[in-house]
Amino acid sequence: MMKNFVQFDNVYKRYKMGEVTITAADGVSFSIDEGEFAVVVGLSGAGKTTVLNILGGIDSCDEGRIMVGGKDISHLNKHDLASYRRYDIGFVFQFYNLIPNLTAKENVELATQICRESIDADTALDSVGLSERKNNFPSQLSGGEQQRVSIARALAKKPKLLLCDEPTGALDYNTGKNILRLLQNKCIDDGMTVVLITHNSAITPMANRVISMRSGKVVSNVVNDSPVPVDQIEW
Amino acid sequence: MIETGRQYFSSQHLTDINIMSTVGFDDDDIKDIYALESAEQVMPGYMADLIISQDKTDSVVRVYSVPEKSDTNKIKLNEPVLVDGRMPQNEGECVIENYFLALSGYKLGDTVKFNSTVEGNATSDYVKHLEYKIVGIIDSPMYLTYARGNSTVGDGSITFYMMIPSDEFAYERYTNVYVRTKASVNGYSDFSDEYKDMVADEKEEFEGISDKCIDRFNKTVLADSKKELSDAKKEYADKKQETFDKMSDGASKLHKGEEEYNNQIADAQRKLDEAEAKLEEGKKKLEQGQKDYKDGIEEARNKLSDAQTQYSDGLKKYNDAKLEYDTKIREAENQLNSAQKEFDTQYQLFYFTTKPQAENKLALLKAGINLCDEIISRSQQRLDEIKHDGIIGEALSDEVISLESKLDEYSEKLSEYQLRYDEGTNQLAEGERQLNEAKAKLDAAVLELETQKTNGAVQLNDAKNQLDSAESQLETGKLEYETAMTTGLLDLQTAQAEITEGEKQLYDGKTDFENQKLLGLQKLKKSREQLEKGRYDAYIQLSEAEEKLNDAQEKLDKLDEAKWIVNDRDSNPGYSGLVDDANRVDSIARVFPIFFLLVAALVCLTTMTRMVEERRTEIGTLKALGYSNAAIASKYFIYSGTAALSGSIVGSVIGVFTLPYIIVQTYGIMYTLPATKLVVSWSSLLASSIIGVFCICIVSLAACYHDLKIAPAILMRPKAPKPGKRILLEHIRPIWKHMNFTSKVTARNLFRYKARFLMTVIGVAGCTALIVAAFGLRDSITDIADKQFKGVTSYDQVYALSESQSADKKAYLMSQIHADERIENAALGYIGWSKACSENHKEMIVGRTLIFANDDYKTMFKLRDRKSGEEYTLGNEGIIINERLGDVLRVRQGDSITLNLEDNNYICKITALTENYSGNFFYMTPEYYRELTGNDPKYGVVFTHISEEYKSEENEIANDWMKNEDIMTVSSTTEQVNAILDMLQSLNVIIFVMVFCAGLLAVVVLYNLTNINIAERVREIATIKVLGFYSLETANFIYRENIVLTAVGAFVGLFLGNMLSVFIVDAIQMDNVMFPKVITPLTYFLGFILTFLFSMFVNFIMYFKMNKISMVESLKSIE
Repeated sequence: MMKNFVQFDNVYKRYKMGEVTITAADGVSFSIDEGEFAVVVGLSGAGKTTVLNILGGIDSCDEGRIMVGGKDISHLNKHDLASYRRYDIGFVFQFYNLIPNLTAKENVELATQICRESIDADTALDSVGLSERKNNFPSQLSGGEQQRVSIARALAKKPKLLLCDEPTGALDYNTGKNILRLLQNKCIDDGMTVVLITHNSAITPMANRVISMRSGKVVSNVVNDSPVPVDQIEW
Repeated sequence: MIETGRQYFSSQHLTDINIMSTVGFDDDDIKDIYALESAEQVMPGYMADLIISQDKTDSVVRVYSVPEKSDTNKIKLNEPVLVDGRMPQNEGECVIENYFLALSGYKLGDTVKFNSTVEGNATSDYVKHLEYKIVGIIDSPMYLTYARGNSTVGDGSITFYMMIPSDEFAYERYTNVYVRTKASVNGYSDFSDEYKDMVADEKEEFEGISDKCIDRFNKTVLADSKKELSDAKKEYADKKQETFDKMSDGASKLHKGEEEYNNQIADAQRKLDEAEAKLEEGKKKLEQGQKDYKDGIEEARNKLSDAQTQYSDGLKKYNDAKLEYDTKIREAENQLNSAQKEFDTQYQLFYFTTKPQAENKLALLKAGINLCDEIISRSQQRLDEIKHDGIIGEALSDEVISLESKLDEYSEKLSEYQLRYDEGTNQLAEGERQLNEAKAKLDAAVLELETQKTNGAVQLNDAKNQLDSAESQLETGKLEYETAMTTGLLDLQTAQAEITEGEKQLYDGKTDFENQKLLGLQKLKKSREQLEKGRYDAYIQLSEAEEKLNDAQEKLDKLDEAKWIVNDRDSNPGYSGLVDDANRVDSIARVFPIFFLLVAALVCLTTMTRMVEERRTEIGTLKALGYSNAAIASKYFIYSGTAALSGSIVGSVIGVFTLPYIIVQTYGIMYTLPATKLVVSWSSLLASSIIGVFCICIVSLAACYHDLKIAPAILMRPKAPKPGKRILLEHIRPIWKHMNFTSKVTARNLFRYKARFLMTVIGVAGCTALIVAAFGLRDSITDIADKQFKGVTSYDQVYALSESQSADKKAYLMSQIHADERIENAALGYIGWSKACSENHKEMIVGRTLIFANDDYKTMFKLRDRKSGEEYTLGNEGIIINERLGDVLRVRQGDSITLNLEDNNYICKITALTENYSGNFFYMTPEYYRELTGNDPKYGVVFTHISEEYKSEENEIANDWMKNEDIMTVSSTTEQVNAILDMLQSLNVIIFVMVFCAGLLAVVVLYNLTNINIAERVREIATIKVLGFYSLETANFIYRENIVLTAVGAFVGLFLGNMLSVFIVDAIQMDNVMFPKVITPLTYFLGFILTFLFSMFVNFIMYFKMNKISMVESLKSIE
């Protein structure tokens, strides 16, 4: 298990809105070990999504260094960033972002067909418990089911890092819990490094590491040596 | 264009009706015409077709009288526009037309000089002067195009026209009457159907009074002429008889001379033949003599040599025999001698040796015998004593026994001696006998030898004698032979000399004969030529006289059947051409707006849909704020309406100032019209603007309407992409299974938005169709040149001859042309302008009548069915016309048309419609033409086809033939092909406009729809970007659909393009041109490729747009 699998070194990200400059990431530094279930928690606007976007290669930073698995991704060009996303990152969106015109299985295949090594779409869907709904279109699935498809799509790429942006944000309590359980199981069973963003600090006990952010800065980076199973958490 | 024409006509007072008469008009006629109800202005005038010679070429000039005011016309009709200089004021001045000024080589101030005769008539019969000074340059409204019409003189085509004052004409009667009728004075539009109908009625009215006027003419003018003619005819007949008599006299004299000559020649020939035969005989004999001589000599020589041989043999034998004889004699003598010698020897031996010896012996023997006898006798005595004593004692007994043995022994010896003695005696006797015998023999032999010797000598002597006589014979023979040889040779030489002499005489005789013969022949030829020339001259004179008489008769006949020709404006080729062209522009104008309107509507629809889509949230917000649907809709309505209105105005201005300008420029090449009047057709502008604005407003309302129905809450969110659906294709498992993932996605996306799919396909199809139609149009026109001049007709040059030349002269010229090895084929024919109409199409259509003198034309004019290729043959039961003419006249094979030939109408049956693309033609046989008109066609053109290997020398060939006096002009089909290619040039503008529109259509439609597509699928695109798709892969996600849609659209467009092209070609077809409906593969290829290029262009632009889509933005919430 690699130490400091993910490492942020004094990362800055500024957005220019006309004449106003908003500093979304204001010298962010933290690290996450391999196989950890990390939760980044903070209020809206705390800069956690920016961090996740930069980590996921969706956005670029203005300053600082980001290392993922020993690779510096902070200065990659557009094409290399796309390769990085393609081979190293699995992304779970808040609003699932499934292609409405593709069935569940096809949505997974959309991801697997561009990867070198990938899990078979059927296996991936089986592993998230959606064997029965493979051939349904997103509009025919519930929110939880859609999020499972999204997770299956992310996992099928065999990523080094699974990034989840408020995966439960659009789900009800129980469904959200199920999804979190699924993610935790993936982390524990498969040793997958998971970084999850949430504004809900109630779920922090399930994480190995909790990173708190406020106003674009990391305020704490706490290692939790005894994570609690999701079922035991209430919020 | 039409407006330009109309104003031009009205300002120059173009007449509606022109009347010509075969006998002219006088003032009474004019008055009668003016009295007619429909005649408003009547202007009498003169016209003459005269010939000028320039550079050996004869050109026909039509000379008009300058329009003048008179009692019946208060205004000048057909007033020419003075371009330069002034109108003629003094005697001997003229004005000349503008366009052909350059071609004719004249300029202001030059002098036009007419030939002194026109078709045998003096020019002074027509005009007062032969030379006119050019003082002005004009354009007449009577001539709109560069077609100058036809004439009955010269090569039949008018090169240019000019005007001189009417008092310069030498006519007694007016030739033309120009009438401006109520139809145009009352202001009907010159090109309208009402005008046409009215003029048609008026025309009949004018034709109605022609009989009355002609009748008046017959009574006054005709009678005198008739009498004059009949006198002339009588005189001519007398003269003709006289000439014929003279000619027949001369002919009979010549005939006699010929006969005499022939007889003499035959006689001389016969004599010569006889002499020759004799000579031949002599020669033969000589040859025989020579042969005999040779044979005789040979034989004699043989005999001589035989005799010689025999003699030699004899001599040899004699010598041999003599030698043998001598030898033998010598031998015998030798033998005899030796025998003699031996005999002598034996004789001696015997007598000198043997005989004495033998006698000695014998004497010894005798002595022995006697001794023995004594002993014996004594012994016997003793014995007998003893015996007689009888006492014989022993010693006595022994003595007795010895005595007895002695006795025995001596007795024996005695006998032996005795025997030997006998023998000896015998031997001796024998010897003696033998010697005698030998002696006898020897004697006999000597005797014999002597005999033999004598005999042999005698024989030898005989032989010798014989030989000697033979030798003398031989000598005699030899002498005889020599003599005979010499005499024979001498005889032969004499004979040879005689023969040679004979031959020489014969040769001299022959030469003499030939000379005489030639001389006679030349004399005969000369007299024959004289006779022929006399006859030819006489015939020429006679035929000239006859022609004059016939002309006079014809003229009189014409006067007899005098008639009026009433023409309206349609008979002016330029006028009808202008109408046709205006109509053609009209039909294009009808086709294109519809098409472009459809294109514009499609563009608007997609653009407005896009705009409304983009403003969706705004609509939702407005709606939520409480604005009424109408208020919101009006915003877009007004917006699009304003855009449409301003667009219409800009478009109208550009349209009005550019397009008609381009078109008129194109046609302006062909027409003489004053600078184009810019006629703003307010109604059409308004109509197109209204239609444009209306379309756009409707489209924007329709686009809004859909959104306005939706609740504001939903509206305020971005439009959710349509949920996925299974498409029909997925149920066809075998295909679906074999498609790869991306094509599956593409397939499903394609059918996701059916409306968008349809719009894209229509837009792209429209683009392809426009391109295909544009290039198809070009193909069709390009093809005319190819098909017409390489397929249907294949003549390369046309030589114009003088129609009035005699048939013999034309035949001679044809044989000359045929003899030119560079010209593969040539056909003599008649070509003349004619008009025709039919039951279904009453308007006269102009075409050309083509009549060929013989079948030579068949390789150059293919009369055949366009589709089946079946060849047609011209028959005497009807005419063949070209397909386009059949289409225009709406007639089929077997129908009849009314054909106007030589100003008369004839009903002709159509036996076939032949393939032809350019020009209208009436093909008929000379027989049929004669049957119709009663006249022989006046062949005046030769169509030639140049051999392949001399194609490059076309110009040289043309120049060579131009030098021939009988050929007036040479024209080449290359010029016609170039004319068509020129037409193509002007078409390129239209093609460019069409392709530009096509590109615009494709780009706008694809841009709009792709934009909408991307806008709706921003989230999808962002998602797949997050998933790690590279830029190009992401773009392909959208492109693939565009490409498939473009392909589908382009394919549909190819079919539509084909239809559109056929439609356009149909719409712009002219009366005399058939566009083959051909679309080459290249055109389809271009349509397809260009469409794809446009599509690729849109894709290229979209690439940047897609690259700009931010992943971050699209991951945000969709509240």
